[in-house]
Amino acid sequence: MGLLPDEIKPAMQGVIPSHVVTCSGDGIPNASVISQVYYVDGDHVALSHQFFNKTAKNVRENRYAAIWITHPETFETWDLELAYDHSETEGPIFDEMDMQIEAIASMTGMKGIFKLRAADIFKVLSVTRNAAERKSA
Amino acid sequence: MIPDRVAEHLQGPSFIQVATRNADLRPGHAHVVGAVVHDDRETVTFFVHETRAKRIVDDLEQNGRVALEAAQASHEAYQLKGRYVSSRPSSEEEYAVQESYKKRIVEGLMQFFPEELAKPIAGVESEYRPSIAITFRVEEVFLQTPGPGAGTKMET
Repeated sequence: MGLLPDEIKPAMQGVIPSHVVTCSGDGIPNASVISQVYYVDGDHVALSHQFFNKTAKNVRENRYAAIWITHPETFETWDLELAYDHSETEGPIFDEMDMQIEAIASMTGMKGIFKLRAADIFKVLSVTRNAAERKSA
Repeated sequence: MIPDRVAEHLQGPSFIQVATRNADLRPGHAHVVGAVVHDDRETVTFFVHETRAKRIVDDLEQNGRVALEAAQASHEAYQLKGRYVSSRPSSEEEYAVQESYKKRIVEGLMQFFPEELAKPIAGVESEYRPSIAITFRVEEVFLQTPGPGAGTKMET
């Protein structure tokens, strides 16, 4: 059993965009919206590396990242602390991410713009459920 | 000087988030509930729920580095990077700004989602009271709309 609970998986289906923050090697933070965080296994997730991508550049200089994801039915949110592990440009994880990015691009009018260059694999360092923050509008 | 379009964009309905980092270069993150571009067009005050603000302010007091990203449902997005100036509890006038921001977010989401989805999504994104007002001086602005131009530094 890894750090990621089963109930977190719907938050990684790309229904609600996720947020990722990183920091360059010389200490400049960066924030970005990402269409999907991919569940790899109980201790790993993958982020897409597309065109110019400051997130991808930063984690190759400084491996730490933090992401914020939302469950599409309960609207509960989680914070994940991550550490960049490696990158894959072929294989089952890459192929599945490529297919899902194509689908998301078609649904959001970004076909031909969203293009997967690599699947960046991260080790999950911590998972925090933000139930206390949740409140209806 | 913050470009006109970026100043307009910050008024929403944009989803805004802030990134910081600590001494170990581990990034910190919080959702932002509204932002105000000041008359000097160089400083911006943004609002973060108190529960998320401690880490953000601790980082900023330590090293001052801040990045603020604002993205709309159209995918248009910008990022402002700069240095911390100050923080304090939000005033009642600023809570009115945050309430207005929250309404615009719900209206924006309702272009894409039914109301029963838009409101809870906005609730997640826009919890705001009590909040901390954080001011920073913008040094660089970047286009972040997905595509070949993403990451381009804008003229300021």
